[in-house]
Parts: sequence; structure tokens; C-alpha cells
Amino acid sequence: MPFRDRLLATIRAARPVLEEPEVLVVGSEVPNLLQPEAASTLVVSQDLDIGVPVNRHASVKGRLAEMMPSLTPSPEEPSVWTPRSPDLLEVNFVGIDRSRDPTDAYVLEDDQLPLLVFGALSLVAAGAEIELAGTRVRLPRPAGLLLEKLVTDRAGGKGDRDLLVALGLLMTAGAADLDELDTLYGTLRSELRHVVRSNLAVLSLLEPTSGMPDPRPQRATVASLLRRLEQVEEGTR
Amino acid sequence: MTRALNQRVSEFRARVLVRSWEYRQRHHARGVWFRLRRVLAEASAAFVVSAEDAAALAAEGYRLEPVGQALEPQKWILFVPAERVARMASARPIPVRLSRELLEAQHLVLTPFDA
Repeated sequence: MPFRDRLLATIRAARPVLEEPEVLVVGSEVPNLLQPEAASTLVVSQDLDIGVPVNRHASVKGRLAEMMPSLTPSPEEPSVWTPRSPDLLEVNFVGIDRSRDPTDAYVLEDDQLPLLVFGALSLVAAGAEIELAGTRVRLPRPAGLLLEKLVTDRAGGKGDRDLLVALGLLMTAGAADLDELDTLYGTLRSELRHVVRSNLAVLSLLEPTSGMPDPRPQRATVASLLRRLEQVEEGTR
Repeated sequence: MTRALNQRVSEFRARVLVRSWEYRQRHHARGVWFRLRRVLAEASAAFVVSAEDAAALAAEGYRLEPVGQALEPQKWILFVPAERVARMASARPIPVRLSRELLEAQHLVLTPFDA
């Protein structure tokens, strides 16, 4: 089954939750969904990350049972819902708490739906709503998610993949998104701005990874963004 | 049930601590890796060249990147236009990444992206 079909089928299966107010798709599927007609050719990932604002936790929990025909919570890790069919992707719930510092993380304890809450997701704001597979899908504004990807601590191969997701977002970003990125970047404290630039420098030297955007043809774009953010540092932009 | 999530939080917090420690060293020796990656990020291509060719480039006024002098052994790193590199017999292309080849090179010429 083509990857895009699996992604759309998963969105359909997760519809009860995705249509809850303020719930967002975050993570590696966003570049795919930002492509024209959600072409889904940028990133091959085996899960759909759903961002749940902590103030919406109770209402999302109330809709979980409606996903049961297609997905089931992992016994070891109930924030992950595994597909009952190979034609679907995993669904991974993560928490969003706008009151938290971007370097913070905590566990929202819950028997049914515990959430790992990443402070960096506080940088993500709701953006466009698109209609896909009969489901209203709320996407994040690209600038905030791009910054989240660049500011979050990365480790090993997972870290490389996350940086390549940032690359996918950069490849779909428009001029207004980059202007917004400048503004958001300027609100970060010095250490986090350094992390962003450091991760961009790492991204510029990454080797290709199967199923991910090839960073090599995009190196000039990454270098241009680095220079742009340095201008923000110097106050010349 | 949330033991795995709590374990991930602990690991995450440990990495954030290390990252802060690295940030505080950004102007010291450990910061050289960011500065080297930052220089390489501006390179569309990289070449290993002979000491003689590197000296000729320096004599022509091409600037040595300071980060090369912060490495041990020191490394000559120069940005040079692609058309000038094309005239250098010793120039051997290598991938632009932190590879053994690049780190072993004593004289490294980088070409900038087109403006």
C-alpha cells in the first residue's frame, strides 16, 4: 500500500481525536501534509504524531474509544496506539504545555493516556486546517514547528531524522514563514539560539537517509538560513 | 505504566544539562566543533590540496579561516572560487562532512555557494 494511502487511512482512523479543538498534527508527517495535496513524498515515517494541549487532555481521552476499531493502545506505552492493520501507521500522542520552558519536559501521568510533554512544543502554534480523508486536520504554523525541531535536544540517529524533518519543513516554507521564524528565533534566549544555529550546522553536513529529504541539494538553503539567523543576532535583520 | 516515559524525561534532562555545559564552552576549545561545522556549512565543495598550492593561495590574498588554527594539528582552511580551484593540479575533491579524510587534511580548500 502506498505510504500516502497509509497516512490518510491513519488520519481517518484518528479522526475523533484530530477533530477535537486545539489538537494538532506535529512531527514528521507535517512536511508531507504541507506539500500540495498532501503529496507525502518528503518523509517516510511509521507514525503520526498528535499534539495534545494539556488543557485538552480530558476531552481527547473521551474520544479515544472511537479509535478502537482501528488502533489499540500499546500495553507497554499507552501514549502509543498501534494499528490493527498493516495499512495504518502508529499514532503517537505527545503533550503541549504553553506554560513550559522549551528546555523542559515532563510526564503527564494518566492510566489511560499518559503524555510526554515537551516544552519545545510550546513554540508551536496552530496554523492551517486542511480537509483530508474526510477529516479536518489542524497543522502547526511551519515556523514554530521548524524552530521546535531545531531547538529540541537531539540524540543519535533519531536526532538526525528529526533534523531532516526540519529540512522538509524548510523546503515547504514560504517567505512569510521565514519572517515569522526570524521573529520567533529572536524571542529565544541566547543558549537556545545557539542550539538552533548549531543544529543547522549539523544538518548541513548530514548524509542522506533512506525515506527522508536528501540534505545535499539543500545545503545552500541551510547556509542561507544560518546567515539570516546570524543577521537577527547582529540586529541587522 | 509510565516508567518508560519517565525514563525518557530523565534522559532528556541529562542531555539538556550536557548541552548547557557545551554552550558555556562555546568560546573555548570544545566550541571548535561548532565553528568548524559553521565554516563547512558555507562550502559547496571541499578539496584537499598540497602545501605548495595552499601557500600560493595565501600569497594571492585568500584568507585562512581562524578555526583551522584552533585545531591540533593546525589546518589551513581557505575559501577559494571554484574557477581558481580548477587550475590547481593538486586539488582532490572530498565530501563536505566531518569525515576522517577531511579531518586528516592539512590543507583544505572550500568553494563558496554561488551568491
